[in-house]
Amino acid sequence: MSEPVAELTSGGGAALPLGVYSRPKGGGGWRDWVTTVDHKKIGILYGGAALFFFGIGGFEALLIRLQLATPNGTVVGADLYNQLYTMHGVTMVFLVIMPLAAAFANYLLPLQIGARDVAFPRLNAMSFWLFLAGGLFLNFSWLVGDAPDGGWFAYAPNTGVTFSPGHGMDFYAIGLQIAGIASLVSAMNLIVTVLNMRAPGMTLFKMPVFTWMILVVQFLLLFAIPVITVALFLLLFDRNFGANFFNPEMGADPLLWQHLFWIFGHPEVYVLILPSFGIVSEVIPTFSRKPLFGYEFMVFSGIAIGFMGWGVWAHHMFVSGIGPISIGAFTLSTMFIAVPTGVKILNWLATMWGGKIRLTASMLFATGVVSMFTIGGLSGVTHAVSPADTQQTDTYYIVAHFHYVIFGGALLGFFSGFYFWWPKVFGHRLGETLGKWNFWLMIVGFNMTFGPMHILGLNGMSRRIDTYSPGFGFEFWNLFATVGAFVIAFGVLCFAMNVILSARRARGLPPEPPDPWDARSLEWFTPNPTPVHNFDEIVEVSSLDEFWHRKWTTDENGRVVRRATAAEVCQTGDADDVHLPSPSYWPVVVAAGLPLVGFGLLYNLWICVPGTILVLIGVYAWVFEPPDDPDGPFGGGHGDEGHGDEGHGETEESASDESAPQEEAASVE
Amino acid sequence: MGRVVRFFRRAGVPAALLGAFLALAGCASDAELDTLNPQGPYARTIDNLSDPVFMVAGVVFLVVFGGTGFLWWRFHDDYSDEEYPEQIHGNFRLEILWTIVPTVILVVISIFTILTLVDISSNEDNAMALSVDGEPTMWEPEVVVVGQQWWWEYRYYFGGLEGVDLSDQRNLPPADIVTANQMVIPAGQEIELKITSRDVIHSHWIPALNGKRDAVPGRITFWKVNADEPGVYFGQCTEFCGLSHSRMRMQTVALSTADFQAWVDQQLQPAVEPTDAAAVAGRAIFEAQCARCHVINGVNGPHDETPSTGADLVSNAAPNLTHLMSRTTFAGGIFNLYEPNGNLNRPQLEAWLRNAPAEKPAYAEGRRGMPALGLSEIEIDNVVAYLQTLGTSPSIGIIVATEVE
Repeated sequence: MSEPVAELTSGGGAALPLGVYSRPKGGGGWRDWVTTVDHKKIGILYGGAALFFFGIGGFEALLIRLQLATPNGTVVGADLYNQLYTMHGVTMVFLVIMPLAAAFANYLLPLQIGARDVAFPRLNAMSFWLFLAGGLFLNFSWLVGDAPDGGWFAYAPNTGVTFSPGHGMDFYAIGLQIAGIASLVSAMNLIVTVLNMRAPGMTLFKMPVFTWMILVVQFLLLFAIPVITVALFLLLFDRNFGANFFNPEMGADPLLWQHLFWIFGHPEVYVLILPSFGIVSEVIPTFSRKPLFGYEFMVFSGIAIGFMGWGVWAHHMFVSGIGPISIGAFTLSTMFIAVPTGVKILNWLATMWGGKIRLTASMLFATGVVSMFTIGGLSGVTHAVSPADTQQTDTYYIVAHFHYVIFGGALLGFFSGFYFWWPKVFGHRLGETLGKWNFWLMIVGFNMTFGPMHILGLNGMSRRIDTYSPGFGFEFWNLFATVGAFVIAFGVLCFAMNVILSARRARGLPPEPPDPWDARSLEWFTPNPTPVHNFDEIVEVSSLDEFWHRKWTTDENGRVVRRATAAEVCQTGDADDVHLPSPSYWPVVVAAGLPLVGFGLLYNLWICVPGTILVLIGVYAWVFEPPDDPDGPFGGGHGDEGHGDEGHGETEESASDESAPQEEAASVE
Repeated sequence: MGRVVRFFRRAGVPAALLGAFLALAGCASDAELDTLNPQGPYARTIDNLSDPVFMVAGVVFLVVFGGTGFLWWRFHDDYSDEEYPEQIHGNFRLEILWTIVPTVILVVISIFTILTLVDISSNEDNAMALSVDGEPTMWEPEVVVVGQQWWWEYRYYFGGLEGVDLSDQRNLPPADIVTANQMVIPAGQEIELKITSRDVIHSHWIPALNGKRDAVPGRITFWKVNADEPGVYFGQCTEFCGLSHSRMRMQTVALSTADFQAWVDQQLQPAVEPTDAAAVAGRAIFEAQCARCHVINGVNGPHDETPSTGADLVSNAAPNLTHLMSRTTFAGGIFNLYEPNGNLNRPQLEAWLRNAPAEKPAYAEGRRGMPALGLSEIEIDNVVAYLQTLGTSPSIGIIVATEVE
């Protein structure tokens, strides 16, 4: 982890190798954001970008619903419809839910383990910029009128050049490839962070469940992303360089793609849902005023889901012609992955049992996850019944199922997280009234939209059809679902208004006092919003829910009594001697090069040259970048104060910026 | 099997909500694709398996949903004091219990699932006596189903499939009967399907008769259907297969054994030479234009059809038109060939001949789908006159039952 380069340049700016700039000094405004390596800013960037893409994906969804509102719809043509539904899926999975999880993980995970940043801050920044580059690259396809049209699952050979002659599927392959690098790098980064940088005393089984779930997700990504990477490269070679990995005409087996895609794709489902489970496991105890029921069971069931998630992929292929023995095996594995999931649901309910439930907007969303995800889980069991799946698969019943999982499970969980951690991130709460409107509109609209899809599916309505004929009994529920989609849109609008109005209301007011919810985990030791250096001092951890235990204790009768107020326990955030990694120009430069390479592959290989040069410059400069500027208030460059260039003497102490900000934190199990 | 399922049903607690849900699902007036209305033994086996699972799922859902509501109501904080409730960190026995209970439920469901899986994956020997070209033949009912963008072909090999090489889907060996979009089967018989594709992956699905099975290029997948009664059963391609995926539909027409024999006899006839002047002119246009892709037995192929030379489609195939008029839909099962009174649906057929891509999205320029032929109105009339000589029309009953909207 240590960089010998640090020595090279320790003499200060004079000894820099050719072309190497000193670290950016911030300077405020957008430069701070572009060059930041602060996990909190990166988390906010992830969140903002994800919500931007959420707007796009939601707009696509509304167009889809308008087209399907009536039989023989003419809102969009078949060609545009196929692009819309493909991009809706790709956007929501890769550019909304995954980065939202990354937003929460980036912001909260270091805080929850009592660290000052992730293990590799510059890599973290690069992950974000690569994700953004991949997302923009994908959506650029709209501007050239050539969006991917083969479904997010991109089954071969329909995605081959013969059947998808435009550039759409190339945008898909390259865009996801770029975003995939982001996920992979981020996975390694967060794994190293959790394993090496926990506060003293925080054993693995004193970690908050959210951190645990994020850790499981990173392992899933670590092993799943390489599979899709290979698959996407093969697709790219097939399409652009005449390879025949998926071309049945040349003897290839198109099921190869399906296996590769779903070996990635099913763990991916748990990548989408587990972060939300983590959020719910933080929110429900706080607002039930009870500890999480069965912490160990929750953690182990999360790990179990992570493991079993690798053995169920072929349930996406029950009708693809794999033999009955495979079908039987995957039937069983799929059936039993429901067990750890069910354990989680029941433990959440048991957490609420006997509690004093505070139905804040955050809690409403969390309980919404519990009940809505249950529907998705149960319909999942009905697919595990493989003979029944031969009727259900590729119908709207499946569309209903996975929206209950991904919208009802993952997305509602993230909204719960927004309301819960907004004061931590922005220093003010989101409004509760609008928050409740947001919840009720979304949950009602959601059930209006996706509930009837169960019926449509069982009535025989196929997925991915751009229109349907009257007379099959599809008319009423489709119209109903379209109305529901607009109710969801109003719910989302409430959220947007809430963000704006609560920010306006908070203007000029002092930030939210610490610990607005009487919460339980380490992030609440810091004042709101979190100061740039996180913790004034690293917290010594002695129990799970350390923060709560500092505030409360039990008397001899077992009653909970106050030990200290939150204000006494919380840190003030005014430490000025904390060394933090300096910002860097180079992550964004590296990330900017890859889409250029992508355009080169699509249009003209010469465009790859500037892209490659940009990447090489970025990597070169990154490697030879001087170490942190140690003279700023927090190691420099975090923006709020100007600082001179004098006093490079202590550079040796600062080691490299990729090393752990606090050495005492290395308490590996 | 049935007995256990009935036990399963009796034991299942009736779920009011689920009942309403199923009722709503089944209430559509003429939901021909309804999966909950099985018309054959395999679809019924699946339905018998999934109904109790739906019930169990409904009960679990009610417990969780009702539980959440109950907890909201019973344990909400009235903010009267800051007292904490009792701090319970868990209960090992309880958690073991609710690990084991779902496991047991799922084990039971799994057993029935595997039994049903074995059931629907098996084949029986049910050779039926048939006369083929006057020769008595024992035919193990099986149909080769070939998907291509965006229509279905059905091929019948009465000599059995032994020794028939299906490995090159774009040049399949000549079959006794080749038809499109309407699979005709004898009712009450297990029909084995050998499903494949000439281009991308499709999925063949007749919900009333059985679940679906993908048509994968380069592979033969096995499936079966069986209809209790003569009748018409609707289907839809259910694997996304490109531009006109939604317009790739099909029907299965189940006939009594006698009617099926009559149908076979008809289909084995080559096309009759036209006598009418317009039809003769139409035949000439067919040979000049249409025969590049379409086959009419006795015109551009011998009775047993060689692959049309020069077919310049990606799939190397277009519907065989020898007995066009014996079918009631065209263009991938989306248009009626007849009006309900039995007259030719001339406006739609002419529109199709005038400019097919305007009627059904296709990539004609990419050699997929029928192109606009640039025929004059007189030429169109002549082609229609010729097409009308191809095959005999089915009964009004079938025309009405196969009506598509």
